[in-house]
Amino acid sequence: MAPALLFVGLFVMIPLGQLVAVSLTDRSLLGGDRFIGFTNYWRIWNDSNFWRALVFTAKYTLILTPILMVLGFLLALLTVENTSLKRVTRTIVFLPVVIGLPSSSLLWFWLLDEQVGLVNKLLVELHVIREPIVWFATAPLAFWAVVMSITWKVVGFGMVLFIAGIQSINPDILEAAVMDGAGYWSRVRLIILPLTRRVLLLTTLISAIGSMLAFDQFYIMTSGGPRGQTFTAVYWIYQNSFISFKLGYGAALSIVLTLIILFFSTMQIALTARSVET
Amino acid sequence: MTAAALTGEAERAIPAPRRGRATRGAYLVAAICVAVIAVMAAPMALSFLASIKTAADASAVPPHYLPQALSFENYAKVINFQAGLASYVGNSGLVALITIAACIALAAPAGYGLARFAMRGKEIAFLILLAPIMIPYQALLTPLYLDFARLGLVNTHLGLAIVHTILQLPFSVFLMRNSFESIPREIEEAAMVDGCSTWKRFTRIFLPLAVPAIVTVALFAFINSWNEFLAALIVMNRETSFTVPILLVSVQIGNHGAVDWGALQASVVISMIPCIAVYLALQRYYVSGLLSGAVK
Amino acid sequence: MMRTCGALAALLIGSSAFAAAAFADTMTMWVRASGVNAATHMVDLWNSTHPDKIELTTIPDNQMVTKLATGVQAGDVPDLVSFDLIYMPDFMKAGFLVDLTDQLKADPNYASVAQAYKDIATYEGKLYGAGFTPDVSILVWNKDLFKKAGLDPEKPPQTVDEIHADAKKIRALGGDTYGFYFSGACPGCNIFAVSPMMVASGSKMLPANGNDEALTGEGVKDVLETFKEMWGEGLVPKSAQTDNGANFTAEFKTGKIGIQGTGGFLLSDLKKEVPNLNFGVTFLPGVKAGQVSSFVGGDVVAIPKGSKHEALARKFISWELTDEAQLEGLAKNNIVPSRPALADNKYFAADPRVVVTAKAIGVGYVPWVFHFADMVNSDSSPWINMFQRAIFDGDVDGAIKEGREKMKEIAGQ
Repeated sequence: MAPALLFVGLFVMIPLGQLVAVSLTDRSLLGGDRFIGFTNYWRIWNDSNFWRALVFTAKYTLILTPILMVLGFLLALLTVENTSLKRVTRTIVFLPVVIGLPSSSLLWFWLLDEQVGLVNKLLVELHVIREPIVWFATAPLAFWAVVMSITWKVVGFGMVLFIAGIQSINPDILEAAVMDGAGYWSRVRLIILPLTRRVLLLTTLISAIGSMLAFDQFYIMTSGGPRGQTFTAVYWIYQNSFISFKLGYGAALSIVLTLIILFFSTMQIALTARSVET
Repeated sequence: MTAAALTGEAERAIPAPRRGRATRGAYLVAAICVAVIAVMAAPMALSFLASIKTAADASAVPPHYLPQALSFENYAKVINFQAGLASYVGNSGLVALITIAACIALAAPAGYGLARFAMRGKEIAFLILLAPIMIPYQALLTPLYLDFARLGLVNTHLGLAIVHTILQLPFSVFLMRNSFESIPREIEEAAMVDGCSTWKRFTRIFLPLAVPAIVTVALFAFINSWNEFLAALIVMNRETSFTVPILLVSVQIGNHGAVDWGALQASVVISMIPCIAVYLALQRYYVSGLLSGAVK
Repeated sequence: MMRTCGALAALLIGSSAFAAAAFADTMTMWVRASGVNAATHMVDLWNSTHPDKIELTTIPDNQMVTKLATGVQAGDVPDLVSFDLIYMPDFMKAGFLVDLTDQLKADPNYASVAQAYKDIATYEGKLYGAGFTPDVSILVWNKDLFKKAGLDPEKPPQTVDEIHADAKKIRALGGDTYGFYFSGACPGCNIFAVSPMMVASGSKMLPANGNDEALTGEGVKDVLETFKEMWGEGLVPKSAQTDNGANFTAEFKTGKIGIQGTGGFLLSDLKKEVPNLNFGVTFLPGVKAGQVSSFVGGDVVAIPKGSKHEALARKFISWELTDEAQLEGLAKNNIVPSRPALADNKYFAADPRVVVTAKAIGVGYVPWVFHFADMVNSDSSPWINMFQRAIFDGDVDGAIKEGREKMKEIAGQ
């Protein structure tokens, strides 16, 4: 156990400590370093852009996570048996997970492009829409475009975790339910769901944390637009640290974001522990 | 009760619907599967098709589904870019291997300790080990880079692998811990009775039983290390040390953000291939690894 | 005696050549990704004529500042760096670059470099870099579409209003033929291809410090009004609104756009990929006839502090300003030299359009400001916000007012 802790201590805790130190200064990417105490944190309190980005990120998390969990679970139910067709389906659904996030974002950016993208072409030819949609011109459409691309990329991960959970259920229980006359969806509701609760909660937690820290997909697909309406919290940190060169302020923002995530994760873990005990 | 056995038994666990409704239901399910396959595979298929178009055709307005003429000029551009594809692949591969080794070496004992030994502060230790995923790692990179500079780890494969390990460790530890927790106590007690030391118990009994989980850790470590961009760019500073994700970005950038779509598709396809290959090779371990790793 | 001298001489010459080769150094050079093609030509030329080699490393554009800044602070820098010239003020002020004043002031080749490049490399009277792989903005027009629309294909628009009128006629051709194009979500493209029209009309764009004025003069308003009208009349494709630069060059290549502001780099692409497209090149105009300007951009080359081969790096910078380097490295490869006097050279003689592009460097401007990224290039910059608010939201006055305030705020930091 010691090596792992030492490793994390050395390479995570120390830089984290340095980050905290930097957050108390007005350090710039270009050098310059003056201790200013909690001024950065005070500025965060008044930084409406950050709070707007945070709210947007929360909205994104709250919408995307259920979509991923429900779809992942349904796909798991669909493909849990080991027939060849289902195994192939499982593999294909999981494949997007192995592509890098920047690659996948660029791929969807290309697909949804109004000029060179094929999604618009398809939708027009299927007469679903009359003329190509400019996906990234309005905030709602841009939002759903990103949600769509991330769902495609990540749903396989949840699906496989859920399959593992379902396949570990003691088959006797399910056989007994069938003999008692329980229908398929009743079995799902009364047996499978409760018995896979731990996996569900774990996956939800990982997914939610990942969404709260979302950056690449928005950077590549929406550039924070239109008009800054799709900035996420980490995107805003990036802007401040590396575009405006305000490393000190960016560090403070990072600490605040981490604390918020830590708070909610702890709450969720505590709730999970309690519900699994029962 | 090994993981594989559980999987085998599960085949029978979800009973088929009764006869009569069986065939209709089965067709519906099969149809849904096919639809799912089509939707999920389409983007990748289209990407591949675009990569074998000519560069001009790939940026055509309006676009075409199929290539007008087959051309490998996009692949040629990617393969011959700057240091040559082999260099980038070699670097990515080496870093990924070191990351895998480090993750397993650190996570396995940590998972064992968390699973088996009661001690005060265990939950706190677990939380610390989980911390890296809660911090926006872009923020950590700058202080980490300056530390690396002092330690001489800049532009080294080891340095980059350390960063990747940090990112992977929480998930790896979690998998290993849960995998060890699901190993029945009787086996361990039998070994203790036989006079096995802790270390021997660990290597002779636990590790072999946890092979699926270890393979899963390796798979995810590989995928995430292979695809990681920002740390690779910050830690490495010679073209000859750059990894595949950096190639992906550089090869398609034109002036003022103009994108060479053809080159982009080709590079995405190229970078996907090793990951898919590794996944397919390890697939049968993967599900059972998660099985024992994620579920109690 | 003579034979011994000869042998001795031969031995000395041979051994010094051998010594030179044996002690050949390798310099490292970082170049931003969008400048790598041009830089490779220059570096290859140097490597083929010098024993000391240069090794290029490509850094994605938007990471260049971070890489260099963290590198300097960690003492881990290349010997030469080629980067977007608009970052010069920040780097010079931060003290990242080596002072080259003596060397450059004494260099006759430097004297004939375009004024814009000299300005951008000057800080508190000292010089820190030289233009390396220039890029300049120009106006292109599709001669075939002009002819079809009843316009004289050899007469490009000379004023902003003429652009509007010509674009209208071309759009009247209908279908998916449009009069004009710009990348509506690309701050860099527009500071490059649109701001010169404002500058030509007498406006000053960006403030150098907190007390300096921003967006002065009527030029900004006039140009934005015209763009707003063109957008409102549907003379520009709808996709322009969200184009973040990805299709900045792709659109004109389709042959369905009448007029567009773009960069010199497009010329060789056009000639190679769509040789049947008849296009013309002219300076970006202002509001009145005769007013012209351009954005002088591209890369400058400088030496970061901490370079381990400073003397050699200085030698490279002197070399790249020579006729030989400028002509054989740049002009031969269809890249504009940083010395406008070399515009009329044998390589460009075949195509007068390239000569026009090369001359555009002489009439152009480059803004000298700190925090350019914040002010202009960033996805949340006052520049792009103003641009989008004026053209897509229609509020030109409000957009300019807000832009002025925010820019001054940034400049005051």
